[in-house]
Amino acid sequence: MTRGLERMMKRLFGVLASVALLAVPAAADDDMARALDSEVADLKKEVLALNRELFLLEEELLFPANSQVALFVSMDVGDFFALDAVQVKIDGKEVANYLYSEREVEALIRGGVHRIHVDNLKSGDHEIVAFFTGTGPQGRDYKRGAELTFEKGLGAKYMELRISDRQSKLQPEFFISEWE
Amino acid sequence: MTRRILTALALVCALAAPPLAADEDGPGPVVVRDPHYGEVLFHFYKGDYFSAIVRLSAAQEREQLTHHDDEAELLRGGLALSYGQHDEAHKIFRNLLDGNTAPEVRDRTWFFLAKIRYQRGFVDAAADALASIGDELPKDLEPERRMLQSQVYIEQERFDEAIELLDGWRGPAGWVDYARFNLGVALVRKGEFAEGANWLDRVGRLTDDRPEMLGLRDKANVALGYTWLQNEQPARARPILQRVRLNGPFSNKALLGVGWADSDRGNYRAALTPWTELSDRNLLDAAVQESLLAVPYALGKLDATRQAAARYEDAIVAFANEQQRIEDAIAGIESGEMINRLLENTAESEAIGWYWRLDAMPDATESRYLYLLMAGHRFQEALKNYRDVLELRNNLLEWKDKVSVFQAMIDTRKAGYTERLPRIEAGLEAADIDAIRARQAKLEARLNRIESERDLFALASKRERQLVEELDLAAEHPTFALSAPEVDDARRRLELMRGVLQWRAEKDFDARVWRQRKLLRETTRAIALAERARLAVDDTRINEPSRLVDFDHRVIQLSPRIDAKIADLELSLAAQRAYLHGLAIEALREQQRRLDTYTVQARFALAAVYDRATAARNDAESPEAAQ
Repeated sequence: MTRGLERMMKRLFGVLASVALLAVPAAADDDMARALDSEVADLKKEVLALNRELFLLEEELLFPANSQVALFVSMDVGDFFALDAVQVKIDGKEVANYLYSEREVEALIRGGVHRIHVDNLKSGDHEIVAFFTGTGPQGRDYKRGAELTFEKGLGAKYMELRISDRQSKLQPEFFISEWE
Repeated sequence: MTRRILTALALVCALAAPPLAADEDGPGPVVVRDPHYGEVLFHFYKGDYFSAIVRLSAAQEREQLTHHDDEAELLRGGLALSYGQHDEAHKIFRNLLDGNTAPEVRDRTWFFLAKIRYQRGFVDAAADALASIGDELPKDLEPERRMLQSQVYIEQERFDEAIELLDGWRGPAGWVDYARFNLGVALVRKGEFAEGANWLDRVGRLTDDRPEMLGLRDKANVALGYTWLQNEQPARARPILQRVRLNGPFSNKALLGVGWADSDRGNYRAALTPWTELSDRNLLDAAVQESLLAVPYALGKLDATRQAAARYEDAIVAFANEQQRIEDAIAGIESGEMINRLLENTAESEAIGWYWRLDAMPDATESRYLYLLMAGHRFQEALKNYRDVLELRNNLLEWKDKVSVFQAMIDTRKAGYTERLPRIEAGLEAADIDAIRARQAKLEARLNRIESERDLFALASKRERQLVEELDLAAEHPTFALSAPEVDDARRRLELMRGVLQWRAEKDFDARVWRQRKLLRETTRAIALAERARLAVDDTRINEPSRLVDFDHRVIQLSPRIDAKIADLELSLAAQRAYLHGLAIEALREQQRRLDTYTVQARFALAAVYDRATAARNDAESPEAAQ
């Protein structure tokens, strides 16, 4: 073994040791990275703004406020019911059948509200029927329905399909109501 | 108010917490009062930040979040952070953090901003945000702030400040060990080896067996072991390096170091044990490559010349093979397939944004080397950016299709409107709601009179009214003016029949009035519905043309903007692809350069071994030796 090799090997230690000592991620310090990062941030901002306009256009075009009815699924604690799916019928016709992922159920429990369906309905009386499928108390399969007849007038109407825990009976409850 | 904002802030920032700082309880469920706010939260909690931002800004524009105004803006800031728009987030927070903001909200916000900037690699910007934090940070965040501050100081080589911040600090279990590690690092890097070693040694003896603490322990031991080796104290390095787990991520470095600690003390036989173990491991690791030279070096020192020569030759072949594999990998990257393969391996549903991590390695020639890149913060960030931009482009391509459908819808509506308008106008003329309403008012007045006058037979059936009329007519007949027993009998019967009819009408009167009132109410409702429908039709008739023109105008001006933005995104993708390829190839070239150095060293060492062997043979064959 030459002295040169020994020196080279020792020098490598320096590299490894400093790697070991760097307890923190390296800074994004090169100009190219910064320039690209800033470009991506600008693009995101512009595409988001464009998306907002497109989203508004789509909603106004497809679901004008006068005829719009939006249905939202909400959930409180969720101790007595693990949600799998919600099926919705309006005036006897199935309009939504949504299977929830674990992540989505978690999002509901944390206070998120899922817009399960949006529709155009004529003025007058309409009937909503919702079926909630999942696992109920003691891990049993559980399917319950809820219904409501409501009057659609002028202006958008928001309906809430709510899953709630009833502590006194240790059972889940299911409601449909108008979102005031 | 402050409490609600804090809840919003907590939920926004919950995702940013490292494992140790994660709040076990987490923020409680949010009470949603506007459904659109709940919808934004739903997308946010799902990790779909892009949709959440779009919905939030749309709802804000339509003023649909009246109950959540302040929280909504804070949430927008948090979403911008989650989506990697930290400058945008900074602007939002700065606007929110005016003089009226509660100090606790302000300090928390600066803290989370600092944290995310640091994770993005913007150390100086993180330092600025940390400097803006006052004295109101809650106790649960204080340890994390201190750790972040110390790491920033170390990166900025402000070791004295880091040491002052950490020395003597007493925090919760777990955090104290991180603090000791950072303190040790700061001291060693400042040149105060003895004191730094003392702190690293304490962390290196941790008994906490949680995975992150085991990792910290290994890291401390490797750092300390190499510090002793650099200071030429191999005897102190060896036991420290032996504490490192054999199956952990630091084991290769530790094995190499243990070997050097032995060889530095002249114990080459002992050094062979860790180095031989290491030389069987994955050649991608620099420590393993180094062991291929270290093993024959030790064998040479032990005068096992043949074995040493054979091992050097093996190393040269292994390095050459590795060089070829790297060449193939570079060719693979240059063909442009690397990024696509990397991205194929990430689930479609996975959220985009800067939390994205690349966990799975694609199965490709170059993928053997990608872990080298993945370890690099710059590559990860660049790849995340690339993926985000790709998503943006795909999003706009979808909108491009949709917008052409919108155009077709608008055209169909225009045609439908023109076609149906005459029929609708004719129908509206025929339906005179005012006349209907006047008739209904007349009916109501009549019913009021009937009720107040108790006009019993006004609501009676036709047959009853006929009977009454006939009886009344009969009663007026001249015969009934006569006085005769037969006439008296007939009059009594007539009066009885009239009485029965009167009694019946009396009995049914209230029910009949009620029924009429009910019918009137239904009519009122029907008229109201008809009027509402008429208003809607009028609205459509009058406003539809201008609405359609407005839609038309919006679609017309959006289409070229979408096209232009797609072109910008394509350009950006190309630039980022080139940058990623450059980073990847540079990392591989670096690996090649190291292998080149090792190869040269191996050849020199091999030549030296042969020289020594030849010299020894010559010595043995020389006449002097023969004698």
